[in-house]
Amino acid sequence: MSAVNIWEKMLNVDRRWIFLGIGIVSIVPFLIGFGMPITTTIEVEGIFNFMNELGPDDAIFIGFDFAPGTQAENMPMAVAVMRHAFHNHTSVFMTAYVPLGKGMAVSALDYVTNPKTEGFYERVLYEDWVDYREAGITNKEELTVAWESDGNALPEGAVGWVFEGRDYVLLGYLPLFHLVILGMTGSIETQFPVDYHGNPIGDMPILMEHKSLRDVDLAVTTSGSSACVAWITYAREKIGLPIAFGVTGVMATDYFPYIQSGQIVGQMGGLRGAAEYEVLLKENGITRTTDKAFTGMDVQSAAHIFIILLIVMGNIAFFAGGFHKQTKLKGRR
Amino acid sequence: MYDTIGIWVGAFFTLAIYSFLYKENPVYRLAEHLVVGISLGYTMVLIYNTVILPKLLEPLFAGNHWILIIPGLLGLLYITRFIPSIAWLSRYPIAFIMGTGMGIGFPLTMKAYVLRQLEAAMVPLYESGMPWYEVFGNIVMIFGTLAALIYFFFSKPHKGLFFGTGSKIGIWVIMLGFGATFGFTVMGRISLLIGRIQYLLGDWLHIIE
Repeated sequence: MSAVNIWEKMLNVDRRWIFLGIGIVSIVPFLIGFGMPITTTIEVEGIFNFMNELGPDDAIFIGFDFAPGTQAENMPMAVAVMRHAFHNHTSVFMTAYVPLGKGMAVSALDYVTNPKTEGFYERVLYEDWVDYREAGITNKEELTVAWESDGNALPEGAVGWVFEGRDYVLLGYLPLFHLVILGMTGSIETQFPVDYHGNPIGDMPILMEHKSLRDVDLAVTTSGSSACVAWITYAREKIGLPIAFGVTGVMATDYFPYIQSGQIVGQMGGLRGAAEYEVLLKENGITRTTDKAFTGMDVQSAAHIFIILLIVMGNIAFFAGGFHKQTKLKGRR
Repeated sequence: MYDTIGIWVGAFFTLAIYSFLYKENPVYRLAEHLVVGISLGYTMVLIYNTVILPKLLEPLFAGNHWILIIPGLLGLLYITRFIPSIAWLSRYPIAFIMGTGMGIGFPLTMKAYVLRQLEAAMVPLYESGMPWYEVFGNIVMIFGTLAALIYFFFSKPHKGLFFGTGSKIGIWVIMLGFGATFGFTVMGRISLLIGRIQYLLGDWLHIIE
């Protein structure tokens, strides 16, 4: 076999071997767990610091502006921000720009309130605390005291209560959502008279305190499409609402200019951005452990090393084989 | 019980989609068609339940809000696409949506996409007390932006110091941008694979937490 044939073989390797290699390097780190460190960037720290300043009197929107196709990247971002908000007792409105985003919002809430999740929050449904509302107890601190004094105890492993209609409300999806954002700058209730479960939101304490986007402190859009820009166009530019992006890796470079222009407070780019937020949550004592994004970063690093090796080998074969002198490369595919 | 069935169905279709990596096969096509069909079906039901029923039919049948007949009829005009002789009527709702979108969106879009970005590009190259890395960053940003714009200026031949060198630098700037995008794209695609592996090894096989 001549040397040229070896280089040619390298350049024409069956791509299924590459898929197999990627598969192996993506599974092994899950089983071994390298625990590679992750440093945080100012883009993600910008969101974290902004969120950290918010308290019980404040509210944020989390836009589940993605479909299951980008769930692996966007979901950890939404979950991390939601846990941060719940920790600070900041109220959370959840919306969806795309139809399937509504299911994503339900999944995120289920995950954060699932007893199997490390450091979960115990959810109290809207109808379960009706007596307290009728008694005028809607302040978070007073509500928690009254709720626990009636014999309700936090389950083992839970880190706090979240009351539907007080700490969060799931508004869901509406078509032409950019117009819905515009409408919410005037009144949230006119756009969403009822929540996901059909409860009138006008009676909810969260809405009584935050009637429109003007009363909201931040909108975090976790997005798998250009939907995120609608929040800038219709909320940031109209009423000055601070916006934060959680976008997929593919989109991240497109939206860096919005950081520099000051139109967004920060950006989480892909799984890496979500992992950084998880690290910040843990380092600041907001969560006890990191979550799925951080776990996935070992795999990310291993896969990147593998891809870099392939690129280097491909280039060596290309130049060593003298293919750069040819105008046409022979190949099976 | 239902959760378990759901997880097994999810695992089956994940593997069905990945089977395409070996070669195209009927199981992959079944999964592909189901994704499209279920997404569309779900969206239709969702829009009926969240929009058509509560925002159109219920107020109409309640006997008030007769004004809703107008948007209702406009919406129905879309269906005329299926009848060639009156298909032109579907242009009315499209025109309405386009006109409304332009009217509402244009000023804000102009502000968000163009004016703010222009404003952000108008930064001083140097000010007293400015750290060196910020000065360097501003120089790169301003000259990089100008060079990339020169590359896309086709009314003059790309020759000489200004257009020739400028467009060459512009290509480098654009390529750097593409390189960063490619890197993020690789990361994004691997992230999607990671999500599926976490599902298969965690939720399905319980090998990892």
